[in-house]
Amino acid sequence: MPRCVFSLACTLLLMVSSLLLANPPQRVDFAREILPILSDKCFVCHGPDTQDDSELRLDSFESATSDRGGYQALNPDEPGESDILKRIFSEDDPMPPIDAEKALSADEKKLLRQWIFEGGEYAKHWSFVKPEKELPKTVTATDLSNVIDELIGAKLESAGIDFAPEADRATLARRAALTLTGLPPEPEQLASFMEDSSETAFEAYVDRLIASSRFGEHQARYWLDAVRYGDTHGLHLDNRRGIYPYRDWVVRAINDNLPIDEFIRWQLAGDLHQNPNLAQQLATGFVRMNPTTSEGGAIPAEFQAKNNFDRVETLGTVLLGMSFNCARCHTHKYDPITQKEYYQLFAFFNSTAESSMDGNSYEYGPIIRAPKDQAAWIVWDTLQQEIEELCAQVDISTLGDDIQQQWQDAKLAQRISMLASADATMATEESRERAQQLLAALKEVEANFTTSLVAKDLDRPRKTRLLKRGEYNLPAGDALQPDVPAVMGGLPEDAPRNRLGLAQWLTSREHPLVARVVANQLWQRIFSDGLVRTPEDFGLQGEQPTHPVLLDWLAVEFQDSGWNRKHMLREMVLSRTFRQDSSWRKDIDDPENRLFSRGPSYRLDAEVLRDIGLWASHLLDPHMGGEGIKPYQPGGMWLAMAHPASNTKKYERDQGQRLYRRSLYVYWKRTSPHPMMTLFDAPDRESSCVQRSRTNTSLQSLGLLNETQRIEMSRKLAERLIKERANDEERLDLLFSLLASRNPTPSERVACESLLETMRKRYQSQEKDATELVSVGDANRDPALSPADVAAWTQVAVIVLASDTAILLY
Amino acid sequence: MNPIREHQLMMTRRQLFGRSALGVGTAAMAGLMGRSLFAEDSNTPEGLHQAAKAKRVIYLFMSGGPSHHDLWDYKPKMKEMSGQQLPDHVRNGQRVTGMTANQKNGLPVAPTKYKFTKQENNDQGVWVSELLPHTAKVAKELCVVHSTFTEAINHDPAITYIQTGSQIPGRPSLGAWLSYGLGTMNEDLPHYVVMHAKTSFPEQSLFNRLWGTGFLPSDHQGILLRSQGDPVLYLSNPAGVSRNDRRHQLDALAAINQAQYERFGDPEMLSRIQQHEMAYRMQSSVPALMDLTQESEETFALYGEDARQPGTFAACCLNARRLAERGVRNIQIFHRGWDAHGNLPREHESQCKDIDQGSAALIQDLKRRGMLEDTLVIWGGEFGRTAYCQGNLSADNYGRDHHPRCFTVWMAGGGIKPGITYGQTDDYGYNIVDADGNTLTPQPSKEKWTPGTMHIHDLNATILHLLGIDHTRLTYRYQGRDFRLTDVHGHVLHDLIA
Repeated sequence: MPRCVFSLACTLLLMVSSLLLANPPQRVDFAREILPILSDKCFVCHGPDTQDDSELRLDSFESATSDRGGYQALNPDEPGESDILKRIFSEDDPMPPIDAEKALSADEKKLLRQWIFEGGEYAKHWSFVKPEKELPKTVTATDLSNVIDELIGAKLESAGIDFAPEADRATLARRAALTLTGLPPEPEQLASFMEDSSETAFEAYVDRLIASSRFGEHQARYWLDAVRYGDTHGLHLDNRRGIYPYRDWVVRAINDNLPIDEFIRWQLAGDLHQNPNLAQQLATGFVRMNPTTSEGGAIPAEFQAKNNFDRVETLGTVLLGMSFNCARCHTHKYDPITQKEYYQLFAFFNSTAESSMDGNSYEYGPIIRAPKDQAAWIVWDTLQQEIEELCAQVDISTLGDDIQQQWQDAKLAQRISMLASADATMATEESRERAQQLLAALKEVEANFTTSLVAKDLDRPRKTRLLKRGEYNLPAGDALQPDVPAVMGGLPEDAPRNRLGLAQWLTSREHPLVARVVANQLWQRIFSDGLVRTPEDFGLQGEQPTHPVLLDWLAVEFQDSGWNRKHMLREMVLSRTFRQDSSWRKDIDDPENRLFSRGPSYRLDAEVLRDIGLWASHLLDPHMGGEGIKPYQPGGMWLAMAHPASNTKKYERDQGQRLYRRSLYVYWKRTSPHPMMTLFDAPDRESSCVQRSRTNTSLQSLGLLNETQRIEMSRKLAERLIKERANDEERLDLLFSLLASRNPTPSERVACESLLETMRKRYQSQEKDATELVSVGDANRDPALSPADVAAWTQVAVIVLASDTAILLY
Repeated sequence: MNPIREHQLMMTRRQLFGRSALGVGTAAMAGLMGRSLFAEDSNTPEGLHQAAKAKRVIYLFMSGGPSHHDLWDYKPKMKEMSGQQLPDHVRNGQRVTGMTANQKNGLPVAPTKYKFTKQENNDQGVWVSELLPHTAKVAKELCVVHSTFTEAINHDPAITYIQTGSQIPGRPSLGAWLSYGLGTMNEDLPHYVVMHAKTSFPEQSLFNRLWGTGFLPSDHQGILLRSQGDPVLYLSNPAGVSRNDRRHQLDALAAINQAQYERFGDPEMLSRIQQHEMAYRMQSSVPALMDLTQESEETFALYGEDARQPGTFAACCLNARRLAERGVRNIQIFHRGWDAHGNLPREHESQCKDIDQGSAALIQDLKRRGMLEDTLVIWGGEFGRTAYCQGNLSADNYGRDHHPRCFTVWMAGGGIKPGITYGQTDDYGYNIVDADGNTLTPQPSKEKWTPGTMHIHDLNATILHLLGIDHTRLTYRYQGRDFRLTDVHGHVLHDLIA
């Protein structure tokens, strides 16, 4: 559910000014100016999907200039004779035809004319050309954040404006913390930043945020949307699925700053690495994330195909910026992707070992056993290290050849068993004892492991053939080799034709798309909108980047940095572009901030809204990882929709601390996710989402003001205010400083104090209502506090928590 | 024009231009801005692309696949063939689900055990089963289509297909498209309302995606009107908070948000203040909607006593009428339990009892209030059921598997020709045939429509058409493609339109 972004007025202005008025004598840029027109207006009949060989194709120079029986569509020698021009300007027999869905505008016709008169040269679509670091000579900077600013600044300058002034320090601190960790700054963190007058204060502050484990939890959410992570199978019964260790791995990988190329290779093909470790295997949960079914009458071959459609199209959306969806049924009308190529990509996934039906099973194999939360992972990881260290100390030189060989061949778990056995010849008394301890500890930890779905390949690959019209029962032609779309460059020479080879291709420096697509995703989460505003589409029909040079530079810098996520995000946040005040400007008409002439601002995501409240009220449980949690939910929501045989028909909410865990961990039933998530635009996770919509509805108001957990967090926040501050004025200061990182303005203070007074009077005279209000939710209430006081402050807290000061990034 | 309205217009423009190609968007915007969404007088049923015949739609969705054999598609010749194998030439190699493909008794013909009576309509009459005595009485209003078909053969893909135009999740639902295309006609209720009616056989799952928005902005999703707890999620104030308290709260909230607006100037902030106010109005308009005490005894006589019980299908139908009266454009009732693989008679008898009187009452009620003419009512499921028996066949008991090749859907009101039937099937209710009885093998195709047939894309195209939308022009660009509800298919069935 991407946001709709684009305003007519602004776009037309920008198009007209940048394409026509500003640089009239400049040569037309085919890739950026002509190809989009051809694609949008002509390719539907004259593009790659043209059925009849005798039909004119306009997607290459060769075909456009071919002899059509005495004339050419494109005639570079005598441009005026080009049939394209005759037809597009023809009144009697125009192209596109009068009844076509799309017509050419006068400006577009002019551009086509100019292009033809300039020789009618063709070039590849921009995103299929490998990005290069090519900065204009005027750019002097070489480091990431300054390059960003110089390139953004240059465009501002050409629009006749400068950067907006820097946001005030506290606002900037709040913005950075929410952007990086999904939570406001801790008061002492904010205070120390405010007091730090050194030049590197902001850098140091940002580094602290990035080092926090909250960083990984927040950043992981974007990836989980993209890969459509869910805790259920998704189709038909929508039963439970055991795959949350994958989610926890994502958080860990991000916190550990696993390079993104590795991050991609493990997920696509961790199992095909040499001696894959547990994390590498867990990561392949990515391949298993497609919704599945075991509906009674379902035909396995049909779902074998559908499961793989889903994988190809998700891979495309997430890493290649195009879904290939069209090519499932026919050669793509716009992008140079053939139907055969679609099925060659499909072939990479078609040999995974799981059955095409999930059996409605939690352990829908292949599965692996893994620690069940982050704490357990740390224990296990530490044990592994200790075992490794102990084994490294063993001196095997004095042992017999057989045993030496045996030891060398053994995996770590086997070595520790060998070492621990009573008759181990390589062990000293001491090391044997230690080995026995470690082994016992390991067994205990592993006994508590849970399961997670992983990918494995069949010993003998399945045959893949092209499916006519995308119908599973209409295979056609010969068996296809796994391969990648030619327009994006071939597989690396030594790459195997399996998922590992696919992953190597994706992360190779030669790949034109992946680094751009990922860099754009990172930019989007920092600046609210991507440099390409259609993050899911980098193809011919997608939007052009607003700052093409910057995007390419970022993509290459990203590779140069070792695919370093933290580096990229850090430098973006440090940029002047990010630090601008986010007020709308009067000196430029740019409602969508396509120039990045103001700081980012938007309504925060569903998860962040909940987490802020839990955090401010001190309810937030810091526990990381583990099975999805079930906070309060109105009764009967699952039952009203679920199949009677489903094991997710009853929502049994959690008790105790689990109610207050971060929203990243909220249980995701794909056919009915938590209503407070979907109400605020969280996707259902049945299909990939790389950009959430950000709507603004009355139902959101009801949720913000009435939902049980929001009332509970408000009353606990009220208690905190009353306990931590001595008078109302200071309490209000604390409330605003928690949620807005500043004290209230006079008008806010008046509004809140007046509400507080009215409510206090009311609840003092009607204590029963007060008691009811302060009893909402499970959290204990402090009996030492007056219910009327807490109730009155609860009402204020509810409002400030729901206000734009709290729910927006600005 | 006030600033809020101006802002709304701007947002709408953004939505429309956001992802639709300019040419298409221009048309859509002209429709939207000039008329429906922001029409001061919301009673003008003008459409987006052409004059609308229907202003609103009420879709009675029978989830699980009602048996056309036992309800609507009368096949007396099957009696003679009872228990015999379905002739191969009838099935003609068509795929059979995993549930009956290998059953021991093969594919024995199972005639209906129910009596059919021919009801007078405005044409040749229509045969209706004794299971639907009330619906039979409104036969003169119904356009009964016997030749609806789909390709999907299992529930999840089939229901996703008919509701979103694709068998694979991820596309916007019919209702979301309508909301996107037509906007709202009222200021204090949601514009797209979904109800889940009670059933004794809650056998199929429903999914958020059936009223979800796919890649459209999520404010176009269907809002559940529930019979348990708050009718609309989180509608009620928490314990200890009165309506008066809420007023005070909202005043404070507006002051804070106004200050934020003055500081940052984002027009979205003004619109949010409005949304809080609309929520406040909903807190009184929804309870008023749900309060049936003002309904007359006569109305309850019409809908049946069931209508007094929240959540029954009859109550949902009554609510649907009340919603329609209040300007809700888009109403959908899901009734589950039609998946009668075994014990079909027991299950369908109960199912029909659930829905019969309510459906008929809805038609009559709309009619007497003068609303049927601009309210499109649709009744149907995601596919039909087989002519052959699943499990053991006896005179009194049988089951039927899923059958996509033909099934019956009826429509009424909203510009539909009243009192006709459309399309026919062979003697086994297995294949669609032409007037001479020749088997037709229609395919969804953008070029060619086979007269006498109604693919589910055709159904959806026709629904959009009646609401004033050209299904080929209501598009949204996502991943480089201008998506439509009807994919690249769909033909408006002008034969059904009055």
